[in-house]
Amino acid sequence: MIMKLTGAERQTALILCIAVTLVGLVMAAAGQGDLMGMQGWVVLAYGGALTLLLMPYIDAGEPAKEDREASYYDDPTKAGIIIAMFWAVIAMGMGVWVAAMLAWPELRFDGAWSSFGRLRPVHTSGVIFGFGGNALIATSFHVMQRTSRARMPSQLTPWFVLLGYNLFCIVAASGYVMGVTQSKEYAEPEWYADIWLVVVWVSYFALYLRTLARRKEPHIYVANWYYLAFILVVAMLHIVNNLAVPASWTGAKSYSAFSGVQDAMTQWWYGHNAVAFFLTSGFLGMLYYFLPKRAERPIYSYRLSILSFWGITFFYMWAGSHHLHYTALPHWVQTLGMTFSIMLLVPSWASAGNALMTLNGAWHKVRDDATLRFMMVAAVFYGLSTFEGSFMAIRPVNSLSHYTDWTIGHVHAGAMGWVALITFGSIYAVVPLLWQRKGMYSWKAVEWHFWLALSGTVIYVFAMWNSGVIQGLMWRTYTEAGTLRYAFLDSMTAMHPYYVARTIGGLLFLIGACIGLWNVLMTVRHAPAQATERDHPSLPETNEPALPAAE
Amino acid sequence: MLDKLLKPFKRAFDFQARTHYKTERHSMALTIGIIAVASVGGMVEIAPLFTIDDTVETAEDMRLYTPLEQAGRDIYIREGCYACHSQMIRTLRDEVERYGPYSLAAESQYDHPMLWGSKRTGPDLARLGGKYSDDWQTRHLIDPRAVVPESIMPSYAFLQTDVLETASLPDRLAALRVVGVPYTDEQIANASADAAAQTLPDSDGAGGVSERYGEATNIRAFDGNPGLVTEMDALVAYLQILGRLTDLPHQIEPEAEE
Amino acid sequence: MSVKERDPLTGHQTTGHEWNGITELNTPVPQVIWISIAVTTIVSFVMWILLPTWPLVSTYTKGILGVNQRAEVEAAVIEANQERSDWATQINDLPTDQILADPDLAMRVRNTGHQLFGDNCAACHGTDAGGGPGFPSLTDSAWLWGGDHDAIMETLRVGISSDHPDTRFAQMLAFGRDGILSRDEVRAVAAYVRSLSGASAPAAQLEEGEILFADNCSSCHAEDGTGDITQGAPNLTDDFWIYGGSSAALFQTIYGGRQGWMPAWETRLTETERKILAVYVQDLGLKAAEGGAE
Ligand code: HEC
Ligand code: HEC
Ligand code: HEC
Ligand code: HEM
Ligand code: HEM
Ligand SMILES: [Ca+2]
Ligand SMILES: [Ca+2]
Ligand SMILES: [Cu+2]
Repeated sequence: MIMKLTGAERQTALILCIAVTLVGLVMAAAGQGDLMGMQGWVVLAYGGALTLLLMPYIDAGEPAKEDREASYYDDPTKAGIIIAMFWAVIAMGMGVWVAAMLAWPELRFDGAWSSFGRLRPVHTSGVIFGFGGNALIATSFHVMQRTSRARMPSQLTPWFVLLGYNLFCIVAASGYVMGVTQSKEYAEPEWYADIWLVVVWVSYFALYLRTLARRKEPHIYVANWYYLAFILVVAMLHIVNNLAVPASWTGAKSYSAFSGVQDAMTQWWYGHNAVAFFLTSGFLGMLYYFLPKRAERPIYSYRLSILSFWGITFFYMWAGSHHLHYTALPHWVQTLGMTFSIMLLVPSWASAGNALMTLNGAWHKVRDDATLRFMMVAAVFYGLSTFEGSFMAIRPVNSLSHYTDWTIGHVHAGAMGWVALITFGSIYAVVPLLWQRKGMYSWKAVEWHFWLALSGTVIYVFAMWNSGVIQGLMWRTYTEAGTLRYAFLDSMTAMHPYYVARTIGGLLFLIGACIGLWNVLMTVRHAPAQATERDHPSLPETNEPALPAAE
Repeated sequence: MLDKLLKPFKRAFDFQARTHYKTERHSMALTIGIIAVASVGGMVEIAPLFTIDDTVETAEDMRLYTPLEQAGRDIYIREGCYACHSQMIRTLRDEVERYGPYSLAAESQYDHPMLWGSKRTGPDLARLGGKYSDDWQTRHLIDPRAVVPESIMPSYAFLQTDVLETASLPDRLAALRVVGVPYTDEQIANASADAAAQTLPDSDGAGGVSERYGEATNIRAFDGNPGLVTEMDALVAYLQILGRLTDLPHQIEPEAEE
Repeated sequence: MSVKERDPLTGHQTTGHEWNGITELNTPVPQVIWISIAVTTIVSFVMWILLPTWPLVSTYTKGILGVNQRAEVEAAVIEANQERSDWATQINDLPTDQILADPDLAMRVRNTGHQLFGDNCAACHGTDAGGGPGFPSLTDSAWLWGGDHDAIMETLRVGISSDHPDTRFAQMLAFGRDGILSRDEVRAVAAYVRSLSGASAPAAQLEEGEILFADNCSSCHAEDGTGDITQGAPNLTDDFWIYGGSSAALFQTIYGGRQGWMPAWETRLTETERKILAVYVQDLGLKAAEGGAE
C-alpha cells in the first residue's frame, strides 16, 4: 500500500507523522503530572508507530508508472474497513462488559479505570466513532469516487483523514479510561482532541468537495447528499457544543462555555443531531449506495429521496429538546421539540420506505443473500426506531420512558438494528469488490453472522423494552391511598433478569461481529481472486436531460 | 376535499424538487443549502434562551461552589457518575414526591457543564445534599454493597487514599470565571488553601472559607480523616452541597403539607 | 448515461441518470406521504396554538390553553394532598396501636412506609430496617432514644448530631485516643462491657473494668450499664450492638469514640410522612418480635 505513494507523498507523510510524534512529546513533557501528559504518550506512540512504519519506504524509489486517473484509489477504504471491524469487536466487547457489570457489579478488576462510568463512554464512543465513523469514512471514499466516476484528487488527504480520525478515537477512548472526559454525552473528549477533530474534519470536507468537483456525471447522487450533510452538520454541531475554556494549556481539564439550561439545550441539540447526522444521515448514504447496488434495482423514487433528505435535514435540527421534557428547560422549547419530532417521522419513514420499495423485484435475492438481508433488516429497524423515537418524543410518553432502559432499548434498536446491520451489509458487499475477490471467504459465516446479529438485537431490545417500561411504571405506581408504591431500590432489583438477558443478547451480537472480522480477514487473504467487471472512472456524461415531470 | 388539502404541500414540494434538481448539480449550492436548512432549528431554540428574561430564575441567595466542592464536581465528571445518576427532578408529581422540589434552571446556572444526566440506573441526586451523613457517603463510595447490599454501583475505594490535587484550583476557578462564574480575585488566589482548609474545621484557614463562601458552608473532615485532603473529601463535599446552593426551589413551590 | 428508460417492473420512468450502475425511478411521491405530512403538520399547528411554543425576543407565545409545566405539577401535588387528606388526618390524630388495629389504615401505612423507608432510610438502616454496622436496627427492642411513638417522631424531626438546630446529640467519647484511658484500661472495660451481656473474661480484668466503668461510663450508661435514653446512651447489657459486640469492635468503640449521625427529616419529609414512618418502624418491630416468639 505504502509503495503506491510517490516519493514526495511519502516524504510529506513522514513529516506529518513526525510532527504528530513531536506534538505528543510536547504534550507529554508540558503536561507532566496531569492527565494531559499521559495523553501525550498516547499521541507519541501513535505518531511514532506510523513514523517507524514509513521509514523503510522513504528511499524505496518511485512506484511503477500508472495512469492514476484510470483507476480509483481504494487503499484508504480497505484500511478503513478493517479498522472499523476491529473497533466493532473492541467496542461491542466493551458493551458486553458494561452490560455484564450492571448484572454482576463485581465483575471488574479493582482498578479505578474499570468502573462503569469510565468504560461506558469507551463503548459508546467506540461503537459510534470508532466503528461507525471509520465505516462511514471508508465507505464514503468508495461511494464518492464511484458515483462521481472520478478518482480522489489526492492520495495523501484520505490517509490523513482516516489516520487522523483514528488518532482522535484512540485519544478519546484511552482518555476515558484514565479519567479524561467532559461528561458531555457523545462529546466526552477534551478540548485538544476536539480541536484535532476539527482539523481532520475540515480536510475531510475539502476532500469530499474536491472529488465531487471532478465528477463526470453532472448530478450528485443521493448517497453523496447524505454523506455531505453528515460531514457538514457534524462539523457545526461539534464546534458549537464543544466550545470550552481549558483551565490551563498544559492540562486536560476544560470548562464548557455554556452552563445550566443553555448548556443542556446545546448539548442535546448536539446529542440528538449526532444521532441524526452521524448515526442516520451518514448511514443513509451507505444505504442509498449499497442497497440498490446489491439488489440491482433502481431507487424506487427520486422524488421521495428529495423529500426525505430535506425533511430530515430541516426537521431533525429542531428535535433535540425532546431529551429535556419536563426539565428546567422552558416549556416552549419542549413543545417545539415534540412537534418537530412528530413531523420528522414522515421524512424518516419516507427513507425507510424508499429503501424497502427499491427491493421490489429483488425479494428473492433478499431471501438468498444474507448481505442484502442485512440491509433489508437494517431499513426495517430504521423505520422501527424512528417510529419509536417520534413516539417517545411525545411529552406524556417521555414522562414514562425518560431516564429508563426504554431509551436504551430505543438506542440499540437504532444502533444495533440499523447502524450496525447496514454497516455489516455494506462491508460484505464492498470487501470482495475492493480486494477483487469472487465473494466473501465464507458465505455461511455471513449467514451465521446475520442470524446472530438479528437474534442478539431482538433479545437486547426486548429485554430493554420490558425493563424500561417496568422501571418507568414502578417509579410512578401509586397505592390506592395515593402514595408511591415502590422505592427506587425495588425497581433496581427488578431489573436484574433483564440485565442478564441483555448481556446474553449483546454477547450473541458480539460473536457475530467477531465472525465478521474473521471472515473479512480470510477474504482478504484466502478467497479466490476475480477481477471486477468495470470499476474505474469513465468518460463524462454527454447530454443532460431536464427533470421529467412526475407521472 | 383531501386533494384540496394536500395541494399546497404538493405545490410547495414541486417547487422544492425543481430547485433541488438544479442544486444537486453544484456541490457548493448543496453545501450552502444544507448549512442554511440545518441552522434554523438551533438558532430558534438556543439563541432565545439567552434573551428571554424568565428562562433562568433570579436566586438572590445563590452561592458558588467552594474550591473543594468544585474539585469534587470535577471528580464526579471524571468518574462519569452522570452515566447512572441524573441531577434533574422533572416537573412530574411522582418525581417531586420522591425526590423533592423540581429542579430550577437557576440551580445549575454556574454548572459548566450541566450534569442533568439522561439515565437513572441509580437514583436522582439533585437534592442529595444533607440527606445522608459524610460517613455514609464515604462508606458507600468505598464499597456500595457494604451499606446497600442490593446495590449495583461500582466501588470507588481509591478515592479514600488518593490525595487531592489542589495546585491547579486557582487556574480552574479562573477558567470558570472566564465562562461566567463570578469568582473574585481573592477566591481565586486562595483556592488551593481554601480547599484544604474546608476539611479542617479547627484550622486557621477555615475562617477564611466561611468568610469567602458564606457561613453556611460545610467545613468538616468529610472523609473522616482530618490528616489528609483526599479526593473523597472533595467528592463528598460536592455531594453534600447538591441542591443546597439556593433555597429558591423550596420557596416557589407549594407546601407539600396538606 | 442519460437514457430515460421505463422500469419493466413498476412501469415508472427513470430520471435518466446513472451512477456506476445505479439508476433512479421518477416515481411520484405516494399519496400516503402527503396525507401523513398534512396530518403531522396540522397536529403540530394545533399544538403551537394551544401550548407555549414560539420564542419572541424577550418572551414567547404562551398558547391559548395557558398551560405551563410548573403550574401543572403544582396543581397535581396540591390535588394529591387533598385526596390524601382524609386518611392523612386520621394517621396524624390516632395513636400507633389504633392505626395498626384498623386494617385499612395499617395497610396504607405499610405500603406507603415501604416506599418512604426504602427511598430515605434503607440506605443506612437496611431495606428490612435491620440495621448494619454503624446503623442501629429499628426492629429490635433496643432503643437509644426510646422506642415509643413520640421519641421516634422527635428523632426523625431533628435527627441525631445533624445540622438541625434542635438536634439530639450522641457523643461517645474517645477514651483511648483522647488519653483518658490507657490501652490496657480500654481492654479491661471492654471485657467488662462484654460480660454484661453474658460473655466471660478473666476475673482480674473484670474487676478492673468494673471500677473503670463506674468511674467513666456510668454517668451516661448508668451504674448497671442499662443506658440512658435521655442522652441516647445505649443499653450495654442486652446483646444488641450498633457497632458490634466483639472484643475488637468494643475496643474500637471505647478507644476511638462514636458519634452516630442521623439526618433530620423535618424539611425533607412532611409531618404525615414522618408519622407514617414512625408507625411503620414500630410495626416492623412488632412483627419482628412476633416472628421471634414463634
Ligand atoms: C453502575 C451505575 C452507577 C455508577 C457509575 C454510579 N452509581 Fe451511584 N448509585 C447507583 C445505584 C444503582 C444506586 C442505588 C443503590 C445504592 O444506594 O447503592 C446508587 C446510589 C448512589 C447514591 C445514593 C443516592 C441515594 O439517594 O440513595 C449516591 C450518593 C451515589 N450513588 C453517588 C455516586 C457517585 C458520586 C458516583 C460516581 C463517582 C456514582 N454514584 C456512580 C449506580 C451507580
Ligand atoms: C445517614 C444515615 C441514616 C439515614 C438515611 C437514616 N438514619 Fe436513622 N439513624 C442513623 C444512625 C447512625 C442512627 C443512630 C444514631 C446514634 O448512633 O446515636 C439512627 C437512629 C435512628 C433512630 C433512633 C433509634 C433509637 O434506637 O433510638 C430511628 C427511629 C431512626 N434512625 C429512623 C430512621 C428513619 C425512619 C429514617 C428515614 C426517614 C432514617 N432513620 C434514616 C442513620 C441514618
Ligand atoms: C458522654 C456520655 C457517654 C459516656 C461517658 C460513655 N458513653 Fe458509651 N455511648 C454514649 C453514646 C451517646 C453512645 C451511642 C453512640 C452512637 O450510637 O453513635 C455510646 C455507645 C457506646 C457503645 C456502643 C454500643 C453499641 O451498640 O455498639 C459502647 C460499647 C459504649 N458506649 C461503652 C462505653 C464505655 C465502656 C464507656 C466508659 C469507658 C462509655 N461508653 C462512656 C455515651 C457515653
Ligand atoms: C454487543 C452489542 C452491544 C452491547 C452489549 C451494548 C451494551 C450497552 C450498554 C450496557 C449500555 C449502557 C446502558 C445503560 O447505561 O444502562 C450501552 C449504551 C449505549 N450503546 Fe450499546 N451495546 C451494544 C452495541 C451497540 C452498538 C452497535 C451501538 C452503536 C452503533 C451502541 C450504541 C450505544 C449508545 C449510543 C449507548 C448510550 C445510550 C444512552 O446513553 O442512552 N451499542 N450499550
Ligand atoms: C425520527 C427519528 C427519531 C426520533 C424522533 C428519536 C427520538 C428520541 C427520543 C425521544 C429519545 C429519548 C430522549 C430521552 O428521553 O432521554 C431518544 C434517544 C436516543 N435515540 Fe432516538 N430518535 C429517533 C431516531 C433514532 C435513531 C435512528 C437512532 C440511531 C441510532 C437514535 C438514537 C438515539 C440515542 C443514542 C438516544 C439516547 C440519547 C441519550 O443518551 O439519552 N434515535 N431518541
Ligand atoms: Ca468534547
Ligand atoms: Ca444517555
Ligand atoms: Cu433525540
